[in-house]
Amino acid sequence: MTAGPEQLPCGVELERLVIQVTEDQQPADPAHQNRCPYCQSALRSLRQGWGDVQALTREPVPIPPGLTAQIMTRVRTLAHYVADYVLLGHRRGETRISHNVLRQVIQRVATTVPGVVFASAKPAAADPPEAGRLSVAIRLVVAFGPTMDALAHDVRQAIDRRVPKLTGAKLSRIDVIIEDIAEGPTEPDLRGRG
Amino acid sequence: MILEVDDRILLQAAQDGDLDAFAVLVHRHQAAVYRVALRMLGSDADAQDATQETFVRAWRGLGRFRGESAVSTWLYRIVTRRCLDLIARRRPTENLQDVELETVVNPADSTEQRERLRAVTRAIAALPDEQRAALVLREFEGLSYDEVAAALDTSVAAVKGRIHRARLGVLKQTTAWR
Repeated sequence: MTAGPEQLPCGVELERLVIQVTEDQQPADPAHQNRCPYCQSALRSLRQGWGDVQALTREPVPIPPGLTAQIMTRVRTLAHYVADYVLLGHRRGETRISHNVLRQVIQRVATTVPGVVFASAKPAAADPPEAGRLSVAIRLVVAFGPTMDALAHDVRQAIDRRVPKLTGAKLSRIDVIIEDIAEGPTEPDLRGRG
Repeated sequence: MILEVDDRILLQAAQDGDLDAFAVLVHRHQAAVYRVALRMLGSDADAQDATQETFVRAWRGLGRFRGESAVSTWLYRIVTRRCLDLIARRRPTENLQDVELETVVNPADSTEQRERLRAVTRAIAALPDEQRAALVLREFEGLSYDEVAAALDTSVAAVKGRIHRARLGVLKQTTAWR
């Protein structure tokens, strides 16, 4: 057998008053509530209690220092298990550069082009596959203003000129995708942080 | 400094394997994930573990996430499930109320106010897990009923019921309503 809803001595159910306070609703029977000491007393207590809940929700929760770094250390470990490499042939051995490293180099080069706000590169093996060659698709968020076609051209040129010098890998194809126009407030640049 | 880049762009970049884009998502959402974990689990160490595990699971699950919901809702879903799993695993030998409750009460508050807020913290900790999860997402994270339902993988009606029972439970514990 289940107990019925809890009631005040005047017969009003506690749940009704809780809904009234927490949902900021009008009383079902204002005439009764205005003259009933039990309702008045319960409402005072419930409002104070709900105020405390609201106060607790506003309390700042300090974030443990270094949490991002701890998370990213674990994620980077996972990512390295599945990393692809570009193979650079050499007479006395081979050099492999992870696609993750190439991605970072390409992104850093792309973001040096004025008007590029954010760049995310996806290197892939060249088609047809060839040692030391790769293709790249790069997604951009750009500032409003510069001609987008000219901006894409500048990005392509910068990557084509600097990435082979920095890595030794050659690029057979550079696809540029402009995804968005930047707007809104700034936030710290986390690129390259571990 | 980089300008605000939409979560959806960062998500797509992360799905392409861009760790830096994922790091921006982590930085952007870790506070909310940690807050939920702390309110659900009651200890800073457990909350940090749950937060780390949430983002590791998110990274692993990137390929399956199709963007049907906001990134934040997706992360709320992962952290809530993780917390409920952890709570279920530590029972019956360990009850949440036996775990040290981290109070996130501002030292600037008066002694009386601090004690009242601690009482609210204890009352929330004593709620049934599903009710606590719904209350935390709704009241502390400010999610709509629809968003809470999406995060908890249940109906809006069920969420409204849980939140109502949670509010009733907390207020009965902390107020002299009689």
